[in-house]
Amino acid sequence: MAKLKFNNAKIKAIVTTVGDKRVAIEEEASNYGYDERTLKRLKRSMGFESRYIVSDKSICTSNLCIESAKDIFNSLSIDPKSIDALIFVSQTPDYKAPSTAIIMQDRLGLSTDTIAYDINLGCSGYINGLLNAFMLINSGLNRVLLCVGDISSQFAYKEDKNLTPLMGDAGSAILIDNSSNPIDSYFVLHSDGSGYEHLIIPSGGCRQPFTTEALEIKSYEDGSKRRDIDMYMNGAEIFNFTIKVVPKMFEEILEFASLQKNDIDYYLLHQANRYILQNIAKRLDIDEDRLPMGTVTQYGNQNSASIPGTINAFLSKRVSSNRYRVIFAGFGIGLSWGACITELDNIYAPKIKIYQPKQGDRE
Amino acid sequence: MSETEFIENIKEVIDTEMDLDKDTLLDDIDYYDSVAVLSLMSYFDELGVSVSPKDFESCKSVGDLITLAKEVIDG
Repeated sequence: MAKLKFNNAKIKAIVTTVGDKRVAIEEEASNYGYDERTLKRLKRSMGFESRYIVSDKSICTSNLCIESAKDIFNSLSIDPKSIDALIFVSQTPDYKAPSTAIIMQDRLGLSTDTIAYDINLGCSGYINGLLNAFMLINSGLNRVLLCVGDISSQFAYKEDKNLTPLMGDAGSAILIDNSSNPIDSYFVLHSDGSGYEHLIIPSGGCRQPFTTEALEIKSYEDGSKRRDIDMYMNGAEIFNFTIKVVPKMFEEILEFASLQKNDIDYYLLHQANRYILQNIAKRLDIDEDRLPMGTVTQYGNQNSASIPGTINAFLSKRVSSNRYRVIFAGFGIGLSWGACITELDNIYAPKIKIYQPKQGDRE
Repeated sequence: MSETEFIENIKEVIDTEMDLDKDTLLDDIDYYDSVAVLSLMSYFDELGVSVSPKDFESCKSVGDLITLAKEVIDG
């Protein structure tokens, strides 16, 4: 089983930038064919209220991440040349090739001695990204910049009532340093490719190369519409997977770290939707003040940026002036799931930022 | 658990005002939607009954749900 332990890496800063356009669920209810009663029920159970997306599709995930990273550099007086590695976790890169992380190396003014690479993951991406950063630190690097997030509005079709009302656009930057004071961090990770079809963009890869037919808008039995270049989600399968694996993963990582449930100050889970989080919280018997679940309601599901996004949205003040032991847990597309126990010790984590579109976004 | 108790629980899980019996068709339940299906899956999981989303898709009536949960229902 993939279990890993580190004691020399430390999270120093977390900044999240969301898309510049706030959309209220009422404004788009007609796209999804919701009547008033359905809307009311979904607002209550799923937590739908508003989401932040980019106003212009030429704004990429990298733009939001660069904004977040620059905030860290400026606020903590970090010299960009001191970054040894840049990891970009996303399903919405600037180009199919080359890796976006390498383009970002130049845009952020990092040294050409920097290691830069992309990881293609969604909901579990923050955990995997953090693991990569901790491994690099453990192998001798001093400072790693992890960038995570997605512009889901690129692949969530406007009339897909199963997926689109959930999704928000966000890009986070996380600074990880080598630490002389040991902090114990634990990771467990899992993969199950037998469920790859439950969350998938079918067209545009080598298995189904892009053709103009993939632009055809297809109607499905449940009343939703999408194209083959868009993301499909089988909500029931994903829900079923989540309630089966996530509570078990918490047991696993607590046992690995020799900790009890109450040794953890905050349970920071991928913000899939309020319904799933309430369900998990009930199974774990954890109160909402220790397991925040409001991100989808205000910002939307931010994929790999949803855990950092939750910290910036709801715990900004607390993590800036306290030391907490936390669990991060991501789960979803792949299927892939993972968890990490670490500490947040007086980190730099300002309130969530809203992107300001600027000239040059299209480049 | 008795069949009557199970039906009462299903009513609460689906969050409907309607009175249900064995012959009630799921599509006729006010309000049987995707959220109701998730709630049912979660309820079955809590009961310790292993079901897949596909098992639910083939259920047409409350009676079919009873059959699916037969291992925890008396009689």
